[in-house]
Amino acid sequence: MFAYTLRKVLLAIPLVLGVITLIFVLVELSPGDATDRFFTPETPPEVRQLIEAKWGLDKPAHERYVITMKNLLTGDFGRSIFQERPVFEIVMEALPNTIQLALMSIIIMQLVGVTLGSIQAVRQYGWADSGISIASLFFYSMPSFWLALMLQLILTLKYPILPSSGMVDAVMYDYMTPGEQILDRMKHLILPGVALSIARAAGIARYMRSSLLEVIRQDYIRTARAKGLPEWKVIVKHGMRNALLPIITILGLQLPFLFSGSVLVETIFAWPGMGRLIVSAIFTQDTPVIIGCFFVFTLLVVAGNLIADLLYSVVDPRIRYS
Amino acid sequence: MLRHAIWPALVLALTACSGETPTPETPTGDQAAADEPKDRGFGNEPTVDELGGAQDTLVIAYQSDADNLTSVVYQAAADGMIIDNINYSSVNPEFDCELTYGPELFDSWEWNEDQTEVTVNLRKGVNWSDGTEVTSADIDFTYDLIADPVVASPRMAYVENMVEGTPEVIDSHTLVFKFKHAYDRTTMEAHISFTPMPHHLLKDADRATLRGHEFGTNPIITGPWKVADWKRNERIVLEPNEAFTGADKDKARIQRVIIKVLPEYATRLVELENGQVDLAQAIQVEDADRLAAEHPEIKLYRRGWRSQDYVAWNQLDFEDYKAKKELHVGEEDWKWEDVDRHPIFGDTATRVALSKAIDVDKLMNDLLTSKVTGEVYAKRSVSTITPALCNVHNNDIEPIAFDPTAAKADLAAAGWTDTDGDGVLDKDGEKLAFTMMTNSGNPRRAKGAIIMQAQLKDIGVEMEIEAIEANTFFERLRKKDYEAALSGWSAGLFVDMTDIWHSGDKYEFNFTSYYNPDVDALIEQAISEPDPAKNAELWKQAQAKIYEDQPYTFLYWMDEIVGVHERFKDAKVDVLSAFRDLRSWWVPAEEVKYKR
Repeated sequence: MFAYTLRKVLLAIPLVLGVITLIFVLVELSPGDATDRFFTPETPPEVRQLIEAKWGLDKPAHERYVITMKNLLTGDFGRSIFQERPVFEIVMEALPNTIQLALMSIIIMQLVGVTLGSIQAVRQYGWADSGISIASLFFYSMPSFWLALMLQLILTLKYPILPSSGMVDAVMYDYMTPGEQILDRMKHLILPGVALSIARAAGIARYMRSSLLEVIRQDYIRTARAKGLPEWKVIVKHGMRNALLPIITILGLQLPFLFSGSVLVETIFAWPGMGRLIVSAIFTQDTPVIIGCFFVFTLLVVAGNLIADLLYSVVDPRIRYS
Repeated sequence: MLRHAIWPALVLALTACSGETPTPETPTGDQAAADEPKDRGFGNEPTVDELGGAQDTLVIAYQSDADNLTSVVYQAAADGMIIDNINYSSVNPEFDCELTYGPELFDSWEWNEDQTEVTVNLRKGVNWSDGTEVTSADIDFTYDLIADPVVASPRMAYVENMVEGTPEVIDSHTLVFKFKHAYDRTTMEAHISFTPMPHHLLKDADRATLRGHEFGTNPIITGPWKVADWKRNERIVLEPNEAFTGADKDKARIQRVIIKVLPEYATRLVELENGQVDLAQAIQVEDADRLAAEHPEIKLYRRGWRSQDYVAWNQLDFEDYKAKKELHVGEEDWKWEDVDRHPIFGDTATRVALSKAIDVDKLMNDLLTSKVTGEVYAKRSVSTITPALCNVHNNDIEPIAFDPTAAKADLAAAGWTDTDGDGVLDKDGEKLAFTMMTNSGNPRRAKGAIIMQAQLKDIGVEMEIEAIEANTFFERLRKKDYEAALSGWSAGLFVDMTDIWHSGDKYEFNFTSYYNPDVDALIEQAISEPDPAKNAELWKQAQAKIYEDQPYTFLYWMDEIVGVHERFKDAKVDVLSAFRDLRSWWVPAEEVKYKR
């Protein structure tokens, strides 16, 4: 197991470096640079040269690539050209917010997906199965930004029961009791959490349905029923426990979708996370921030997959890594 | 001071929302009372003591976070609006046809006879929020920072015409600014009245990293507001500065101002409607209609003619320009005489004909007119000077009328006829066909481009549209790598046409490579003419000459719509700022929303 983990970690290194190289090339191919936004028709050329020299943008691309890589490998993320602050500091402000949102999304995704999938399996070919199938397909094919806008319109404007943006109430949060503050934070998590996870939940429901259907046809389920166990116990204890195994693997694979989805959802709900950071960094062509963000995202995705792999062997004793 | 107006923002149309049926509410007794104007007029607002202390919270929606509140290095206009509110300005700007300045931190200032020297007297007893008095040393220090290339201040142009060593400190509250020569007085006054920086706090700061200094996010200020909290990408909280030493009438009347960062337009609009936000900028015309119908509590302001759209015609052949540019490296005054002209746009008569074929009134009607009230949020443009500057804008220029028949005749006279019967004009075997680029993410320009494409097709001109990402778009304009471009400018309130219309390769904002020696001469004369009347006359002549040459097809100026909750009285929303002089905004006791 240790050797397996180590091998996976070592394999991740070239992957991360490859991703960073690709991002560097992509940023390089786009015209202009971060300093463009500093210039108006009135900016004297000497100011322009000074600013470019300060950020090393006057150096050729290959030199900057070597410097960027060397810095990254020594743990130096550099400074943001736009904010003039260490990139590490900026990323660390946004990362916990994105992780919070991702966790919320995973919870909604699993809860909704597993429940609906199970209902469908138990009531196979019944009206519930068909109804949920149609609804799943509807949500699965819906772009997350559109769903986000619709949720916002319906639940914050037409029927204002949830907050429309941010992590906390911008005006009243400072005056709330600690209990109210926690509640406020939870309320703010709901809409972005749902927008980000509902399509994935629909996917999970499909997996769960087929997985549970397969399990309930097994001999040991028949045995459990023959023992005279109540049906709910047969399904929940013997059926679902085994049907959940493949769902855990999918969990690790959901991370990239959660992160890419967060780019739009965070923008719409003004969630100060990594997705928004990437968008603004791309618009301002703030290369150090773009690279820092993708570096962290890649690490998280690699780590997510590794954890899912390892979890799989924990929950299913038949699987052993060597 | 023109800024290139491109809108790279993620624009998502709010279609479902506008599909709702408006359900105007009948005003109740309370509402009817609230509808009566309570504005007292500027200068007559109730003082903070009369209001029983500062009341309520104003929430302002911002598209993106502010980035730096250090006056000598900030870039974005959005940052400037905050800086202006948290500091006592050196002079108090007013705008009515032209900018004028009244006393504020500068108690008085006096020009010498030939307008090359000005003696400034500072108001005594104005303190920084840390209790230190504002003195001449702070002003001197500020100008030293601006002039220092290490700081790389974008406002270096402010000191370009000042004598080295300016300002000269006479005593703790008196300074003299000396200029190399006189020019437009308002501009000169703008140049001397830069928001000061605290000498005592920043004198030892590293100038090369001044942009990254903590001061940029947590500044010491002189105005009625201070930055109480700043969470990046979330919100900035302004609270009354309790150490404010200015006049009583200038004390803040609102308890808190929260600048809330909402990157998505649809979200800003939703929050303006559901009351989470009190002020939202740049509201689209169709949304303004709905707001007016459904939300009587939101007052809509028009900011004045602040930005325009135009079509730029590149007069040079790009490939030849690129090749010749390499032969002229370092020649800033190279006027492109040896470069091949663009086969279509190199000819003035052809450009004029194309302008005749574009129906600007239809564009304004389709894109910028309310479908409910018929109110037009646009005005025809004839130059890059905003009509808001009514003394300098040339009102005598008659806009070219839409006349496709005349356009066709003019093109035929220029040699463009349809010889092969394919519906597209041609000359010497070349079709009258070109590509117009515009920036993606701007629905107005996208629609405008399609309308123009159809209009040009009617007279036998084939135009392709290429929508490209904003950064690329801007880069290609500057490099002159395009044929035609649908673009825009936002107007500055100091008049200087040099950067866009003076010839010479160093002026890279002269996107069309426009070269007219008469215009060059007029610009040079105007920028060094101190007499406002003569100065205005020169700028008017330059505008008329440029319009004759039609380097652009000037389209329209647009009015920015700002929505503000009506409980805020004496709200100043104007051409200078979307929220000017926040200190004078106030809320009557019975309308306060957020109580302490």
